[in-house]
Amino acid sequence: MTDRLPRAAIIDGKAIGAKIRAEVAEEAARLSGQGWTPRLVSVSVGDTAAAELYVRNQQKQAEGAGVAFEARSYPQETSLEQLIGILQGLNHDPRVNGIIIQRPLPAHIPVKALQKAVHPLKDVEGMHPASIGNIVYNDLALGPCTAVAAVEILKTLPLKIEGLDVTVIGHSEIVGKPIAFLMMGLGATVTVCHHMTRSVAMHSRAADAVFVAVGKPGLVTGDMIKPGAAVIDIGINRVDGKTVGDVDFASVAEVAGWLTPVPGGVGPVTVATLMKNAVLATRLQMEHYRDAYAKTDI
Amino acid sequence: MTAKIIDGKAFAADVRARVAEQVAAMKAAHGITPGLAVVLVGEDPASQVYVRSKGEKTREVGMNSFEYKLPADVPEAELYALIDKLNADPQVHGILCQFPVPPHLSERDIIARISAEKDVDGLSVINAGRLATGQKAMVSCTPLGCLMMLRDERGDLSGLDAVVIGRSNLVGKPMGQLLLRDNCTVTMTHSRTRDLAEAIRRADIVVAAVGVPEMVKGDWIKPGATVIDVGMNRLPPEEEGGKGRLVGDVDFAAAKEVAGAITPVPGGVGPMTIACLLANTLTATCRANGLPEPEGLTA
Ligand SMILES: NC(=O)c1ccc[n+]([C@@H]2O[C@H](COP(=O)([O-])OP(=O)(O)OC[C@H]3O[C@@H](n4cnc5c(N)ncnc54)[C@H](OP(=O)(O)O)[C@@H]3O)[C@@H](O)[C@H]2O)c1
Repeated sequence: MTDRLPRAAIIDGKAIGAKIRAEVAEEAARLSGQGWTPRLVSVSVGDTAAAELYVRNQQKQAEGAGVAFEARSYPQETSLEQLIGILQGLNHDPRVNGIIIQRPLPAHIPVKALQKAVHPLKDVEGMHPASIGNIVYNDLALGPCTAVAAVEILKTLPLKIEGLDVTVIGHSEIVGKPIAFLMMGLGATVTVCHHMTRSVAMHSRAADAVFVAVGKPGLVTGDMIKPGAAVIDIGINRVDGKTVGDVDFASVAEVAGWLTPVPGGVGPVTVATLMKNAVLATRLQMEHYRDAYAKTDI
Repeated sequence: MTAKIIDGKAFAADVRARVAEQVAAMKAAHGITPGLAVVLVGEDPASQVYVRSKGEKTREVGMNSFEYKLPADVPEAELYALIDKLNADPQVHGILCQFPVPPHLSERDIIARISAEKDVDGLSVINAGRLATGQKAMVSCTPLGCLMMLRDERGDLSGLDAVVIGRSNLVGKPMGQLLLRDNCTVTMTHSRTRDLAEAIRRADIVVAAVGVPEMVKGDWIKPGATVIDVGMNRLPPEEEGGKGRLVGDVDFAAAKEVAGAITPVPGGVGPMTIACLLANTLTATCRANGLPEPEGLTA
């Protein structure tokens, strides 16, 4: 009987998220005490039903951590120019510390154009090219939340990251690639696989830790994993009305040493990371503001 | 089997010829002459040689070369004022400051001061971010040169296993990005990597940018692999007063017996760097004027 039990320790993303939020709450309280209560503005455009649940969850988490949260919705026909104008207004408003652009956006709005329009100091989602560039240069300020969350999870495990062999499956600009940079910055040897990779299994089997961020249920199976490895599943897929990751949970759990579940793995840590970015952004802005007004002999 | 030796000098000459051709066409069709500004602070002899050579090569392809020599003790504000002026000058399409600079100046802040569109060395944070997010970027010259050679050698790089040794901002990291963009499966290795030989044995493409003479051994190379050696290491002189031999990061003699193609040192990657600087200046000029990007000269 016992050989049917999963061998992997199932990573509790909720608990990790809660711990991060507790730290965020302390920092938010400190900032509030100095007159800088962190404040996020969420921007949704068009049919917001798809993201509504998600936005409400962010709001709940934010308010629970002492971060003010304002959800704004704009009609479907809002033009790109209008949206950029709105973002510029938020950039200039000292009472706004972070801007979240909710997806999906209407087809006529290119998401990158909006991400670029958010001031890097208010880029709590870590999507601005300058934010990504800082990650590349190993100078972490505001990182993309999902990638940072996935790496934070790995850091909670009793593994020495320096020299660790890591395989990242999926090379998206906001998840796979930043994970690769973050892990390389921590001293791991990183291999990035994607849709053109000839043998993903060859690379995943060689890895002590595997990050999967593709969006294909069942992509990674137990035979692709080195016994005892850590597997971080970032995928979110709907299958038969259920939310599942990219990892075939049953077979991988029998081989891996650690495994994140979906839901309850990377997701809750991602939202907590967004809040962490919110307090970090607020502190950076407070310092920036104080610097700018410190000199009076002008 | 003996590897094909990739002739970097000839390759670079061809890139420069193609740049010259497009510069001439641009002048004829639009009356625009690309301009590259090079700023040298202080009197480091090696830097003076580089700057002179960059100026000559720039003029050779028909571009304008603007050279600025500032004293070693130039105040930061004065250097920034010059950069600001060059940023605003429509005749200047590329700006580079020759490094190293004297210790009272910060390379990082200088790079940040140069407009990202004119950062033809591709070193700014914003260009690194643009490259990583698949947007139009200025790409660091040496890795861009390596990519051109690899494409020429292998054609479509999709699906090939590539190993990059070294993770510097200048070479290793942008190289990895470029290979990913061309759909290679990329492994980034460095000084903390546990088993470099094992990683390299799987690779169809090896790019070495380490700075350790002949550290990559012949028997680490997969038969038929393409090996690009970025390293430039001067060995101690064999006789007193002599000049030491220049070698790469790869044990060339052994590796060439196994590899499919390999770049020598010197005469491999080295000459490509300035050629790509000129290519980047042309690209920046096209972008500044809303013209289509030069074919075969971008990432
Ligand atoms: N035009 C040209 O041909 C050209 C242009 C630029 C550079 N270069 C040459 O290319 C070489 C690399 O330049 P760079 O600017 O990238 O150098 P760098 O900034 O010194 O970076 C060297 C990289 O090599 C890694 N490394 C060091 N020892 C290693 C070892 N034993 N095993 C595996 N990795 C090791 C380092 O790892 P850590 O990060 O872990 O320390 C680092 O990432 C130099 O020889 C340079 O002269 C040539």
